[in-house]
Amino acid sequence: MSKVIRLGYVHLRVTDLEESRNHYSNTLGMEVVASEPGKLYLKCWDEWDHHSLVLEEGGVGLVKLGYKVESAEAMTEFESRAQRFGVTTGRFSAGENLTVGEGVRITLPSEHNIELFTEMEYAGTETGAINPEAWPRNVRGVGTHWIDHALMPCEDPGLNERFLSEVLDFKTAERVVTSMEEPEVIGTWMSCGESPHDIAFIKGPNGKLHHFAYHLEDWSSILKAGDIFAMDDVPIDIGPTRHGITRGTTIYFFDPSGNRNEVFAGLGYRVQHDFPTINWTVDHLAKGIFYHARELNDAFTSVFT
Amino acid sequence: MADPKDVHNDITVLPDGLHVTAVGEETLLKALGRAGLRYRVGCKRGGCGVCKLHLLAGEIRYERPIAESVLSDDERVEGICLSCRAVPLTNVVVELQEGDRLRRVLGFLTTPSKGKP
Repeated sequence: MSKVIRLGYVHLRVTDLEESRNHYSNTLGMEVVASEPGKLYLKCWDEWDHHSLVLEEGGVGLVKLGYKVESAEAMTEFESRAQRFGVTTGRFSAGENLTVGEGVRITLPSEHNIELFTEMEYAGTETGAINPEAWPRNVRGVGTHWIDHALMPCEDPGLNERFLSEVLDFKTAERVVTSMEEPEVIGTWMSCGESPHDIAFIKGPNGKLHHFAYHLEDWSSILKAGDIFAMDDVPIDIGPTRHGITRGTTIYFFDPSGNRNEVFAGLGYRVQHDFPTINWTVDHLAKGIFYHARELNDAFTSVFT
Repeated sequence: MADPKDVHNDITVLPDGLHVTAVGEETLLKALGRAGLRYRVGCKRGGCGVCKLHLLAGEIRYERPIAESVLSDDERVEGICLSCRAVPLTNVVVELQEGDRLRRVLGFLTTPSKGKP
């Protein structure tokens, strides 16, 4: 298990802040916890840190991802390993990100910006930590639980996999390879804890976003989310369906700027230390991605922001 | 001011020369969809650029700001436009991306008129 704890925040560009506020707050049910000119900070009801999503007005796509790390020592170790690997690193000071302590900035081989941090102001979950109810009664819309993972396209998923594995101690839960004999990595789903993935990459252009995902409780919550997307005229890319890879049940949909989101239910297995990595051969890619239709839609491999 | 619903703009779609009508504030993609025609559909929100068309004649406006990373200034000058966000202001002539065709998904309901472009 890695000393990286989880995906702590997604910092996203949006073309229209007010439309985005409505989508993330009213349709998905996140709470706006802070705002600055041109920026909103949001969290889900089941998250305890100050925020998990930063929306910044202007453009589309990903600014950066923040991953929370156990300790300052672990962060320093990750930093020096990253430098030895040969990527660009930097430091940021406390307060550069609202309520976030100091940290290490790493540019992945795929040009994605990752920030490692250890401290963010504690806010507590909506239901609290003493004799909590099962869920808050005032939850809006989909009522997303937490931001779970992100998937990015990149030119060399194999290189990113090696980086995440060697530098940050992520474990590959599943991957797609050209063939078992000549296993060029086409896609990789990697875990820092026991969840099937905390980060994933598929072949495509560097630096872009494919989607980031919210955890929901179960399949019936996925169906209800689909109903809410119909009511709120949210464009659906695919679903409700199931992924072969990770076994998660899913809907891919788009925010008002065209950034892809996912609602994802499925902690179908645990990635323990000795978990045997699952390999999919590329001839089974479509089934791996969309288990029922067994066909990729055009958008899956062409729509990025 | 005239009721926006009374605004009708003709869209000529090359290479086949199909005609559809955009009503009011409808985008190019929406007008095609209402006529039972399906073009490349991505995010439908101006973020991915999958639904780009070439605007050959006429004027459009965008109902939302479009990111430079999606549609560059050079593309704008060339007349490339995002069909999911572009609302015609006049009659327009657009051309599909090379090798593309519209698919008829409501063929049993509507027959778009075919005439000279």
